[in-house]
Amino acid sequence: MGAAGVMAMPAMLRAETMGGPAPLVPMRLSLDQLIDIKCCIRPLRAAGPNLGTEMVRDRLVIHNYGHGGSGWSLSWGSAEIAVGKALSVLPQSIAVVGCGIIGLTSAIVAQRAGLGVTIYARDMIQRTRSFRASGSYTPSSRIALAGPAGPQFGDTWEQMARFSWKMFRTMLGLPGNPVEFGDSYAVSDDPIVRRTDPADPAITDSYETTGRPRQNSEFAHLDSRIRDIVPQAVPMTAEENPFGTAHATRASHMHFNFPSYAQILLDEFFARGGKFVMRDFHSPRELGDLPERVIIHSTGYAARDLWNDQTVIPVRGQTGWLVPQSGVNYSLRNNNMSVLSKADGLVVMNNNPDLGDMLGVGDSMELANRAPIEEAMNAMSRFFVPRTGAAI
Amino acid sequence: MSARIFGAAAILLALASGGPAAGRGTQSGVYTAAQAAEGAQVYAQQCAMCHGARLEGTVEVPGLTGKFVANWAGRPVGNLYDYLARAMPQMAPGTLQPADNVRLVAFILQANGAPAGSRALPADSATLQRIDFEAGMPGH
Repeated sequence: MGAAGVMAMPAMLRAETMGGPAPLVPMRLSLDQLIDIKCCIRPLRAAGPNLGTEMVRDRLVIHNYGHGGSGWSLSWGSAEIAVGKALSVLPQSIAVVGCGIIGLTSAIVAQRAGLGVTIYARDMIQRTRSFRASGSYTPSSRIALAGPAGPQFGDTWEQMARFSWKMFRTMLGLPGNPVEFGDSYAVSDDPIVRRTDPADPAITDSYETTGRPRQNSEFAHLDSRIRDIVPQAVPMTAEENPFGTAHATRASHMHFNFPSYAQILLDEFFARGGKFVMRDFHSPRELGDLPERVIIHSTGYAARDLWNDQTVIPVRGQTGWLVPQSGVNYSLRNNNMSVLSKADGLVVMNNNPDLGDMLGVGDSMELANRAPIEEAMNAMSRFFVPRTGAAI
Repeated sequence: MSARIFGAAAILLALASGGPAAGRGTQSGVYTAAQAAEGAQVYAQQCAMCHGARLEGTVEVPGLTGKFVANWAGRPVGNLYDYLARAMPQMAPGTLQPADNVRLVAFILQANGAPAGSRALPADSATLQRIDFEAGMPGH
């Protein structure tokens, strides 16, 4: 399937609505649309995010790092916990180290509680790993390993997830649509079943023996705890399915548009008197040099080296980015390949179907690999080709 | 502005942040030209794929001149050596041999305007902790 076929297709697909089919604007997946490939490392921390505290000289350091592939999705709830700990020692001002989505959100939550905040970081959020995520709402993606996290972690995760969900609702419809819902279609020639990952008894190694997870069953899977608020996939009938596959589901799915989201947070941060200081830290001891006595530490994957936290495991991921396509307000997934339309572009992913959560584990190579992105674009194009006899 | 003023600024910065390393600074010729040349080879093989052939970096990957100095100067050059030892190259951290590591440090110092000298920079963290990374005139 080449680009010419895509260009020649009819203008509209159809989706179901009350009163009959409504048009779905087809995705343009020709290779000329590919304008960026972003690659980044998720900081999977075996026991889940570090929300602990410790003293560095006479400074109270409150950790808030290691959110795997769930940093955006848990940002508000995680910040609430960290800032709560800061408030409990009655500071007037605090430092936040790191300016990814966790650091910046922590700073704003602290400001909303009346604290003065200075962020110390190498870069503002636009150049952090947070900005190289996909922007899809994924609150338990590589968030922890079930064993090291322990049975209590689920409660903490649920607290963060529910709190964050309510806060995202306060951002719906803001200028630039920082947080937005779209229809998410999954299509397949085979029945669509929820992936389960029973432990493979043939794999005897584990995180406990090797320092790395060895199979999917080691990961904490927690999404079912919030299925009462997060829209679940519903099956579509053949008449409702605009993509011509034997099976399809639809779900309302939330995503984050990074440019407007970041701008809104930065605008609020500076409007509330926040200060940003470009600063790199080379050892935990250096945090003791800061004038603030209370410090929230949110350096994400960098914490592995800065704090020598070897329980932070790199999990590589990459996304291809196409020119934004206004009017395309949905996402489409077929097995391991997906395209998600956002204000900041169409996000293309191609994840090995056999690996699941294990994909990218231990891989800290942060250079892009173009071939899988092109493969997904080519493969997904078939859903936007006119079908003989199809009601398009 | 003279190199001396830059140096003074670096010392002030170091004082403000817990004190400079006692001893030599990188503006006094702490590595040899041969080390830097060898470091260029190591850099080309192990670092350039991410940081760029001209150390320019990208939006995502830090460049190793300019802002880099702001992030590392005013403290012991041993900080950089230790960081490279444990964290770089990112796809295989901990694999850099000490001799190659110190060559890289020499190469990076040279790229940031520090002069070569007659004494080799030792591949020894404790010694490097006593050598200040001083800001100088902008490198290339």
